[in-house]
Amino acid sequence: MVQGMLIGSTYGLLALGMGLIFGVMGIVSFAQGDLVSLGMFLCLALYAGFGLDPYVSVFVTVPLLMISGGAIYWFLIRPIAGQHLLMVVQLTLGLSFVIQNGLLMTFGGQAQRVPSVVDSDLLIVRDVVIQMPHVIAAAVSFGLALGLYAMLGWTDAGRAIRAVSQNSHAAYLMGIKVARVRLVTFAIGCGLVAIAASLLAPGAVMVPAQGFRYTVIILLTMVLGGMTNFVSIMCGGIVIAMSEAVGAVYFADTFGLLLPYLVFVLVMIIRPQGLTWRTT
Amino acid sequence: MRREFYDTLLSPGLWLICALLAALPLFLSGYHLQIVTLALTYAALASAWNIVGGMGGMLSLAHSLFVGIGGMFASALLIRCGINMWVGSLGAAILAAGAGCLVAWIGWRFRLGHLLFALITLAFAEMASIVAMNCEFLGGASGLFLPPDKGRFIAFEFGGMHGTYWVMLLLAAGCIVSNLAVLNLPLGYRLRAVRDNADAAQAIGVPLLRTQVVAMAVSAFLTSIVGSVYARYLSFVDPQLLVSPTLTVEIVLFATVGGLGRPFGPALGALILLPVGEVLRGQFGGALPGLHYFIYGLVVIVVVRFAPRGVLPTINGGWSKFRARRADRIVHAGTNTGVSVTSGAGQN
Amino acid sequence: MLEVRTLTAGYGLAEVLGDVSLSVRAGEVVALLGANNAGKTTFINSLSRLVSIFSGSVVFDGQDITAAKPDDVVGLGIVQVPEGRLVFPKMSVRENLLLGGSHPRVRRDRLAQMENAFGLFPILKERAQQLAGTLSGGEQQMLAIARGLMAKPRLLMLDEPSLGLSPRFVQYVFDAIDRLRSMGLTILLVEQNLTMALRYADRCYVMERGRVVVEGDPNAVRDDPRTRTAYLGL
Repeated sequence: MVQGMLIGSTYGLLALGMGLIFGVMGIVSFAQGDLVSLGMFLCLALYAGFGLDPYVSVFVTVPLLMISGGAIYWFLIRPIAGQHLLMVVQLTLGLSFVIQNGLLMTFGGQAQRVPSVVDSDLLIVRDVVIQMPHVIAAAVSFGLALGLYAMLGWTDAGRAIRAVSQNSHAAYLMGIKVARVRLVTFAIGCGLVAIAASLLAPGAVMVPAQGFRYTVIILLTMVLGGMTNFVSIMCGGIVIAMSEAVGAVYFADTFGLLLPYLVFVLVMIIRPQGLTWRTT
Repeated sequence: MRREFYDTLLSPGLWLICALLAALPLFLSGYHLQIVTLALTYAALASAWNIVGGMGGMLSLAHSLFVGIGGMFASALLIRCGINMWVGSLGAAILAAGAGCLVAWIGWRFRLGHLLFALITLAFAEMASIVAMNCEFLGGASGLFLPPDKGRFIAFEFGGMHGTYWVMLLLAAGCIVSNLAVLNLPLGYRLRAVRDNADAAQAIGVPLLRTQVVAMAVSAFLTSIVGSVYARYLSFVDPQLLVSPTLTVEIVLFATVGGLGRPFGPALGALILLPVGEVLRGQFGGALPGLHYFIYGLVVIVVVRFAPRGVLPTINGGWSKFRARRADRIVHAGTNTGVSVTSGAGQN
Repeated sequence: MLEVRTLTAGYGLAEVLGDVSLSVRAGEVVALLGANNAGKTTFINSLSRLVSIFSGSVVFDGQDITAAKPDDVVGLGIVQVPEGRLVFPKMSVRENLLLGGSHPRVRRDRLAQMENAFGLFPILKERAQQLAGTLSGGEQQMLAIARGLMAKPRLLMLDEPSLGLSPRFVQYVFDAIDRLRSMGLTILLVEQNLTMALRYADRCYVMERGRVVVEGDPNAVRDDPRTRTAYLGL
């Protein structure tokens, strides 16, 4: 349960990045989970090559993924922006294939792990045992989410991002460089992915094909959170991860695996607009 | 039904291609025949998907669910209950059509819009693959083995590679003809109207729900049938192959590369890309697993970026431009014999 | 100050404007009139560089800005207050104003500029923390104008400022325009409200189907039969 809550904050963070991109550009990337996967494997490569701890490799993976994300936006997504919305879906699906199988060709299909110094540390509070990486993940995710919230709320860059997402036409008239704001937003989304990858990597078993699952989780979380609402996206992440954890622990069969989806379907039927109670 | 439908159906070029394809098994080795059969399977699947994904703009990622129903459910009925696979595959297809209706209804009920529809169907596909992997009746993660193919037609056996090839060719042709038919029926107009602007379409009286449900049902039905034959061809029902979202993504990518919404585009995409991928897999599969998927992904990125309407319309457009230019040149050369330039190709 | 020569512009391949020539002198209020779909909004959007220019030239203060980008135009002091106001609904009045002053040229003294704007429209100061989406139509129009002023415009382009407002607010908006003129601001006003525009403008242009059909001082334009035709589409 607690573990679900902690992991959920990381899902929430990933979905926040996606929600930001959706808000500003109206697009959804189906390759986002594969970028997470890419980030995790980069951690693996950095560990294997230079013995870097996943938490240290953040300083390499963040700029790397931000630059590649920016390039993806600028050279692939921006030129087809005028086309039908669905072309972006197909493009990112293609991208997902490229990343996933690029990883498969580079790292092979076996499951692998990245160790970290805090890997096996446990935090024991009375009868609750928590793995250290999960605590770190939750702390960093919440911290980053708050930071992101503050950035959006009280800085010029954040205001510009919100302006573009609320009305891009008016944003142009304010003299805001809209294309640049979009590029930066996409890059921020990818940077968050890189951080989340480092948070998820320690101790996790990873295979190249996992990206798809992450994509689904990110998108479910985002929809659950009402696409762009900040607080409820974080809640959505926790709901999804908790149902995942509960399903895995208490129902050790099909039903357990299905639980997050069932919760999702249930929420969507009761509250089609997502978990939003009020708009912020 | 518009006259164009019959015109296309009766065009000699089409029959020639069919005849050539039908004669192919007589010349090909077993390995190559397998590849072409597989290509035809995907051509059929991509064409069936095209009805909703291309013409209707409903980017369904749940089609692996329909393939799975056709492949696994019909096989399970045969093995567990001894139900004839003809009956089983028909029943599975009806079930798939029902599931398709449900998916379309959900999309309509919650006004999902294009992006959310893609996403929700993806969630469905994930759920389906979890269920299939864990359901003992369907064979679970280890899959089901069908009895060996003894060529008894009555038992859904088509007599090995050649027979299955011809059946698959027939199915692919059937899916393409259904594409043509839908395109030229009122359903096709409504679908395209809904795709381009759902609100405007409703405002002029297109029944949104019915259009989408019917399209989805037809597409799911066809997909399920193809799934059954595919399972029979493989003789082994593997949930990781049949119900995996990867299968759907492959279908979508093939269709996109070929040309969305065109009757021949998706089939062409599959027929070009799949053999390339399979040959690559045969050559380098051991050293570089996933290379063929990597290439598919790359091709679709290039196509979406530079020829977003797909390969077929682009070739068509280029061809008519070329003809127009040649005709121009003839006119400019002073012959001026009233060469008429028809640039109707590439329109639908 | 602004000199537009034989401008053609449009969306994609569709040409909406054909050969529009227009000039605005410093300190003037110029009204651009015409019925719906005459191309007025397209025209000022092409000046704001949101619509692609096919041919012709735009010269501002002796500088050719035909190839400028949207943010360059704002930087030069050509600021548009768009039709339908387009305030950012989920942001406070204050944030809307800050965004208006987000161009690097004016960012430094935008707080002082905000005080000026509050001086012109005191109601906005009362509502500073309120979300813009909750303001009334008239208040939103004031906010939109104030937001435009934040960018220290030299040429302010107002697109249909009276659209959808009650008569009291229409009068208020035009009074505000009068005050801005007396402060020395140059204004290009796009209007459908013929009577009001003719009363406040120094010179007028009347457009019909993407072309300028009448130009001159308000009295001449009012009496020109072609104005009537342009409006009634006869």
